[in-house]
Amino acid sequence: MGPLITQGIISPEWNPILAFVIGMAFGFALEQGGFSSARKLAGVFYGYDMIVLRVFLTAMLTASVGLLFFNYLGWIDYDLIYVNPTFLWSLIVGGAMVGTGIIMAGFCPGTSFAAAAIGKIDAMVFIGGLAIGVFIYGETYELIWQGIYEAADFGRIRIYETLGISSGLFMFLFIIFALVLFWLTIPIKRKFSQRNLKY
Amino acid sequence: MENAPIKKRYYIVSGIVLLLGLILLFLPFKKNRSKVSPENLLLAISNEDRFYSPDKVAKLIISEDPSIQLIDVRTPEEFAAFSLPGAINIPLSALLDKDEKGYYLWEGYLNQKIKTIVLYSNGSVYANQAWMLTKRLNFKNNYVLKGGLNSFFKTIIKAEKPLNSAPESEQELYQFRKAAAMFFGGGGSVDVSPSPESQPIQNLPPKKKKEKAQSGGC
Repeated sequence: MGPLITQGIISPEWNPILAFVIGMAFGFALEQGGFSSARKLAGVFYGYDMIVLRVFLTAMLTASVGLLFFNYLGWIDYDLIYVNPTFLWSLIVGGAMVGTGIIMAGFCPGTSFAAAAIGKIDAMVFIGGLAIGVFIYGETYELIWQGIYEAADFGRIRIYETLGISSGLFMFLFIIFALVLFWLTIPIKRKFSQRNLKY
Repeated sequence: MENAPIKKRYYIVSGIVLLLGLILLFLPFKKNRSKVSPENLLLAISNEDRFYSPDKVAKLIISEDPSIQLIDVRTPEEFAAFSLPGAINIPLSALLDKDEKGYYLWEGYLNQKIKTIVLYSNGSVYANQAWMLTKRLNFKNNYVLKGGLNSFFKTIIKAEKPLNSAPESEQELYQFRKAAAMFFGGGGSVDVSPSPESQPIQNLPPKKKKEKAQSGGC
């Protein structure tokens, strides 16, 4: 049945409308989860608040387990889902830069907009920085970044295919990994909870 | 600050997730080969828009129209024996070849915005199959030589003289066909060597289309 647009069940004109609705819901969920506070995201790195990690694990597990079950039930065609091609170096360099930015600001691009929507001034400053960064990147792309961007193109790879195991086995291992990580967050938080801040 | 007790629902959720993981471990991975909906497929097949008539193709070749690209989907041997001028050879069996990264090797030829692709084979069966494959992948601007090379020979090279009483338009068409036949090597005696511009698949550099990584994240 799905993906709905690829299969022609609904027309591509729905794309921006659906994106708008899903984006609103996403922003709402981020705000309700408390992600609009910069301390929440920074907390992961200092160990006093593990909500972000838990939410990420929950989201990843829900999406991936759901996809595999949907595929099994024939509700979605797994092969038609767009897979981002893997560009290794841009992932490493970009990941390091985004990570540094998140620690420094306490926002990731999504949460900054949720926070700006409820009037957080630091988030608005962050968005300004984001825009400047995008502009500089765009202007210097051919000069500096293009080589890194296009290097080490692995195409559309899936991790279980690279490892040579079935998707079910990989998912099982990943669930174990996620559960271990989840239960580890409890003692970590206890250890650092003295540094818990009121907000 | 005091430590909060571990919530009961953490155990429940962990148990459920673990159970789902166990089920996935033993669930066979179903490969749903994606299908076009029957209605769309039927519509696409029954639509005659995809055909280029031999006369139209001949006219385009003779005028050396740069906007047209002929693609021969027959085997390399057949292609070496005879091909239309300017055609490139992508055999039907190799049409959907991918490299190790999953990019279609010939997508650069088969999926174009500017050029019009005319696929041909001896009849129209193989060219139609090639057309269906590209259609399925949503490649643009692909057409089929109606009736294939057989029909091309029959209508152009061995054009039959219409009756004297036939309308003038038909006489003109015959004149054109006669001239075209001379262009393609003279009525009856066809030059069988491939023309210099046509490219067999061995010499054809793969043209892939790389999609730019889309932005994503949180």
